[in-house]
Amino acid sequence: MISPRVASEDPDRLYTVTGGRSRADESAMDVVTLIVSECDPTPGMQSEHVRILQMCRRPMAVVEISSELRLPVSVVRILLCDLLDTGRITARHPPKAPARAQLPDPEILEQVLVGLQNL
Amino acid sequence: MSATHIPVHRRALLVPLGVAVVAGVACVWAVAEAPVAGRTLVAWCLGIAALLLCAAVTYGLYGRQQANLLRDRLAMREADLAQLADHTLPALVKRLRDGASVDTALAEVPRPADLAQQRILWTLAQEVGRGDRMRAAAMSACANAAGRVQALATSMLADLREMEDRHDEKVLGDLLRLDHSTAQAGRLADSIAVLTGARSGRRWTKPIVMESIMRGAVGRISAYQRVRVHSASTVAIAGHAAEGVMHALAELMDNATSFSPPSEEVHVYVEEVSTGIVITIEDCGLVMSPVALARARQAVSSEPLDLTTLSGTRLGLAVVGCLARKHGLTVSFRPSSRGGTAVVVMIPQKLVTQPAPAPQVEAPRPPSAPAVRRATAAPVPAQADPVAEGELPRRRRGQTLAAATSTTPVPEQAPARSRPSLSEAGARFSAFRQASRGTGAAPAGAAVPEAEQPQAEGPAAEGPKDDTR
Repeated sequence: MISPRVASEDPDRLYTVTGGRSRADESAMDVVTLIVSECDPTPGMQSEHVRILQMCRRPMAVVEISSELRLPVSVVRILLCDLLDTGRITARHPPKAPARAQLPDPEILEQVLVGLQNL
Repeated sequence: MSATHIPVHRRALLVPLGVAVVAGVACVWAVAEAPVAGRTLVAWCLGIAALLLCAAVTYGLYGRQQANLLRDRLAMREADLAQLADHTLPALVKRLRDGASVDTALAEVPRPADLAQQRILWTLAQEVGRGDRMRAAAMSACANAAGRVQALATSMLADLREMEDRHDEKVLGDLLRLDHSTAQAGRLADSIAVLTGARSGRRWTKPIVMESIMRGAVGRISAYQRVRVHSASTVAIAGHAAEGVMHALAELMDNATSFSPPSEEVHVYVEEVSTGIVITIEDCGLVMSPVALARARQAVSSEPLDLTTLSGTRLGLAVVGCLARKHGLTVSFRPSSRGGTAVVVMIPQKLVTQPAPAPQVEAPRPPSAPAVRRATAAPVPAQADPVAEGELPRRRRGQTLAAATSTTPVPEQAPARSRPSLSEAGARFSAFRQASRGTGAAPAGAAVPEAEQPQAEGPAAEGPKDDTR
């Protein structure tokens, strides 16, 4: 009668995990930001925080943490912001922007494409 | 009756007869003594007087007889009535309340001799029976409706959870708000189900850890952001009782937040003791008056719920009482040192268990992770879900968890992984077979599934790893 989807659920609702927040304070963190924990979990911490700190002993992307915790990325970002604010983790941004800057101009690419099609 | 009447009548006849004889003798004597001239007159007068005397005595006796008779009958009737009121009617009502039909109940109680009393009995049985049927029908209608709302709320919550996963944070806030409202509606339906005696809410198929219990409870009340939970407990509550415990805690937290100023927080402390778990819910609101305290204690006491004591608006404590009786929780109230009221809930040891190992098993890794995935910590989930994870490698026997969990290729582990893949795969497999045959004493449930895994997954598991290195 009960679908497996319902049966495998946990009783915690997401708003109790985030304490009612639905938006991370910091928008600087995106899904591929690497997170590294800076300290060990202490007793009494929220279980998600404990797991994040354990997981991120090696750098781990936000989206990976989200998948491990089976929580939406936006919720994980809220949790990460809590840890970031208390200095328990650090965030490293992958050097993505320079790579994009080195890409050729889209107009040139378009011209190449047109030229190839005209061959 | 008739046996006692005959001597009475004889006695009644004897007395007038004696009076008549005495009067006759007296008359004869007086007539004999009287002078001859007036003898006729005297005889007449005395005769009439004697007759009158006899008649009066007879009539008086008869009246006394009747009075006695009526008095006896009255006493009998009173005894019958007392019997009806004190024994027959309570027995009848009890039988009806126990669920007997009107006819059965009437047949089982002694039938009064009096026709009027029989009619009273019959009318009363009909009315009580009808009232009972109405109550039962109303209760089952409520229970049924509550059950449907519960099912609806459960599936809505599951849907919402799925949507929360799917949508980004632009929608997340709204979804969370809907989620919260649905959870509260579900609690209301749960309350009605508990009060109407239906089965409460959903059943959890696994033990629920204390943190989730507290979150489940907190998430069902409106002012959940004012509740601060202080818990370092790692135990779990058995699945069959988890819903009840969550619901009872939610009702108590709801009371605490409703009866304290909106600016104040409600603190919840979880403590593990040898007899179970003690949860203290403290608010900074008003101190309960002695009358309110007595009523609250009565509501959560071990006496069964009396529906007539329910007030329309305050159902919470009655629900807590029902749940406490069902699961053996102890609920007590005391003034809080923070200035309000503290509720202490004791969860007995028999409901406390260790968390299921399932939470330690994580989701399949995203594609960005290396092929070596963290292995399962327990054999149970490995057996439970062999198809979904079939193509992925598992932790092998003898390999430590730490070695299996490492996600980055550590130099000293690299040879260990690549070694068995090519030349020794067959040797390893035969060694495994030998080992599993040699340890025939090992539990079959543990040996069999693992024995099958290397067969099915060995080559597939080793293949990608060799490609990557």
